[in-house]
Amino acid sequence: MDARFTELLVPFLKFAGGREITEDTGLRELGLDSMQAIELLFAIEDAYGIALPDDELNDESFATAGSLWRVVSAQIPEAVA
Amino acid sequence: MTTAVNRGEAETVGFDALADQVAAVAEEHVAAADREAVFPVAALDELRRTRLLGLLVPVEHGGLGGSVADVLRIGIRLGRVDMSLAMIFTMHCQQVAAVVRHAAEPLRSELLGRLGSGAEYLASVTTEVGTGGHLLSAGSALRSDGAQLAVDRFAPIVTGGAHADGFLITMRAVEADAPNQVSLVYARRDQLTTDASGDWQPMGMRASHSIALQLTGTVPAHQIVGAPGGFADIAGSVFGPLAHLGWSAAWLGTAAGALSRVLRLLRSPAGRKRFDVKSELLLTRLSKARQRLDSVHALLWRTEEMVRTTSNLSLPRNQLLLNALKITAAEQCHAAVDDLVDAVGLRHGYLKDSPTRLEQALRDLRSAALNYSNDRLHLADGRLALMDSEVRFA
Repeated sequence: MDARFTELLVPFLKFAGGREITEDTGLRELGLDSMQAIELLFAIEDAYGIALPDDELNDESFATAGSLWRVVSAQIPEAVA
Repeated sequence: MTTAVNRGEAETVGFDALADQVAAVAEEHVAAADREAVFPVAALDELRRTRLLGLLVPVEHGGLGGSVADVLRIGIRLGRVDMSLAMIFTMHCQQVAAVVRHAAEPLRSELLGRLGSGAEYLASVTTEVGTGGHLLSAGSALRSDGAQLAVDRFAPIVTGGAHADGFLITMRAVEADAPNQVSLVYARRDQLTTDASGDWQPMGMRASHSIALQLTGTVPAHQIVGAPGGFADIAGSVFGPLAHLGWSAAWLGTAAGALSRVLRLLRSPAGRKRFDVKSELLLTRLSKARQRLDSVHALLWRTEEMVRTTSNLSLPRNQLLLNALKITAAEQCHAAVDDLVDAVGLRHGYLKDSPTRLEQALRDLRSAALNYSNDRLHLADGRLALMDSEVRFA
């Protein structure tokens, strides 16, 4: 996960309480709801200039920081997942 | 519905015949239950006696081994007579399905054995003051000393709460960080002190007797259903889909029963004298009511098939279909009965003592749009629509 990605996540995780965001960080447990998932999606797409495929926009992708990063990084040509 | 029930009393009787027995008892009491706003105790006893309360429990645990499709067919059948009873039945089956799919040993065998006998009616305790009906967050927290869980929970609406033998209760998980870490805990009535408060005087759904309850007590730590804090999985895989399917079946049954009673009235010798069945206005109104119900029926079974066969219910297009079923059934079943009121007029459309019972059906169905509100679902659907920009259908 790159630093820009974890910085994007932080404002959406109101129950994170300053803890470090790791691949295993559960997004829903830390406060990501369905409306925020849309806003996070837009923020990610703006930040990286990418569009995430519809098929990846499911509960599993949004389960943890790591699972979402795998979906995001797959759309960034130069990134290493 | 040809599935044979091959256990106990109903050796050669299919589920539809058992549902007919329950419906017959419900028919005797429906007027009084609506008038007095009391729970349909006799019909619930018949659901116990026929063991339909154990419909979804696998045969190896003593249940009838039925499917969700069986629940929906019986829900429609009971809804034809009494929407409150149909909702009570389908919501109980939703609770049982959560136990079947998510409870671990030793709770699983212990509870499924009781549920399989059909003796236990399970009520759902998910409403809470302050969560706005949002299923996935909980204010009241479970406390634990390791071996026991302390339950102290107020719920403003518990359908059949005064008559339930057990409860599935959502509470914030022990030592949870966030209100959306919710656990589902089972409690038998005798493990709790239950204080009912308030009166139940609603416009419709009067026999559902959905009262406020304060639940207090302790249960063994193993009475959590699913993972601690893992209620979101149960909500997504069982509660959400079965609620929308089960409610829609109950509503469709209610509107179908109303249309059937109107058609029988129109075709009776007395009805043929009173109504002009060649009237284009009357025929058009009957057509519209029938069209609405066929649309809901088609959507119900398409959605049941999707839920049965999909590998990922959380995909936006699958969630959209489930929500579309609920919203459409709520709107169209109510609209169909409203059409029928116009079709047959004041005497048979509006008066309480008409054999068409349109007045009760309309009151009951008015709750459909409010029961997990259509407004809330439209907001969710707007978000989901943004997640499916290609607009593919489930």
